Amino acid sequence: MPNKNGTVYGLTILSPIIDDEQATPSHDLQIRKYLATLPTGEQSPFALAPGTHLARLVVMDDVIYVGMPACEEHLKSKYLVFESNCDGELDNYLAGLAASVPEHLDAIWSHCVGYPGAANQQAFIDYMKACQLETTFYFAAVNDKSVPETLRALQTQHAVADFIADHQGMEPARLQTEFARFVAELKSAPVPRPGSMGQPRSIKTGGRNE
Amino acid sequence: MSNINGKIYALNAITPMKPWKTLVLRGFFFLLGHIKPLQQDLINLSFIEFARWVVLPRRQFPFLGNGQVKEELQYDYLLFFSNFNGTWNQYIDAFSAVLSKGLNLVWRWSEKFPGAVPVTPFKEYIARVQFDTDYYYTAYPHAAANDLKSAHIVQASLDSLSQRAQACTPEQFADAYLRFVLEVQAHLGETGEAPIVF
Repeated sequence: MPNKNGTVYGLTILSPIIDDEQATPSHDLQIRKYLATLPTGEQSPFALAPGTHLARLVVMDDVIYVGMPACEEHLKSKYLVFESNCDGELDNYLAGLAASVPEHLDAIWSHCVGYPGAANQQAFIDYMKACQLETTFYFAAVNDKSVPETLRALQTQHAVADFIADHQGMEPARLQTEFARFVAELKSAPVPRPGSMGQPRSIKTGGRNE
Repeated sequence: MSNINGKIYALNAITPMKPWKTLVLRGFFFLLGHIKPLQQDLINLSFIEFARWVVLPRRQFPFLGNGQVKEELQYDYLLFFSNFNGTWNQYIDAFSAVLSKGLNLVWRWSEKFPGAVPVTPFKEYIARVQFDTDYYYTAYPHAAANDLKSAHIVQASLDSLSQRAQACTPEQFADAYLRFVLEVQAHLGETGEAPIVF
């Protein structure tokens, strides 16, 4: 099934935005305004809800005219594009969103045609599926790991680098004991929060770019 | 608006296609999906975390009633969504240099596509058909695609060593530990904030 690659699901949703001349500001602008203030880090709704690797929300104003001799045409609705790369089965993922961040979903999708609200979970899932597009080709660089597994692995990578650097040249018996302690500590450590920038580094090479 | 979050860039593009051409494109994507060696260049580029193409037929735009006016379009549309590391210019340059044949097979069915080589008209075309992202989230903004692959290699090696460690004598453990270090040493690159791009 093209929507899936391994255990990762590629969800593509196009929700028609309400076209109401009386609305001020227009519904598409209200969505954009809300998205502009939505946190993108640990407090992102997609970090609070389970299972999202990467996701984007885009207001698509119109199709694009590429110039003569192509025909110029326009959409009758604007659409909200929701592109998500998530774990597992679609119903579980959408149910997780509806259960975890209903207020954000309602604030965004209430500007879309026919949106039933997230309180009625089954109606929400049915609505999302009605707006879903079938992916034609889906590529995932890592397609067999969940979000927690990936966050855990990144944490491990960091910790292993430090452990190796700190234990060079140690005699075998002590190294074995230290290693057992290290592994136990790592296993009991909480999984890093999704959307976080990870542990701060001592060396600074730059900042988030825009 | 933000196309960037940490080390990831979100690209959206939409291009019109004559409806009969979408059948050919679907056939190409079917082959690409089922013949894994055809994806090798895409895999080897190793800075794309996720990417997808969606063929959207002109009569299959979601229609929900409730006052929505049905679309009346002449073209089918090809949607492209990519999540990649690096800058837009680096991405398009690499696409053009490494994947030009594959890209031509994907986009040659779209109206006015100039070809992936030479790169200047290709960039002009992508810039024309791209639209910006309003909200972009990633669970691991500090990691690039190679970091993810490396982290899973380190995790698997560590799990393997820790399973064997308890049954080893200290000397056997020292040998196994040395092999572990050799296995993971190329996969310990530091993750963190993205460099500033000018």
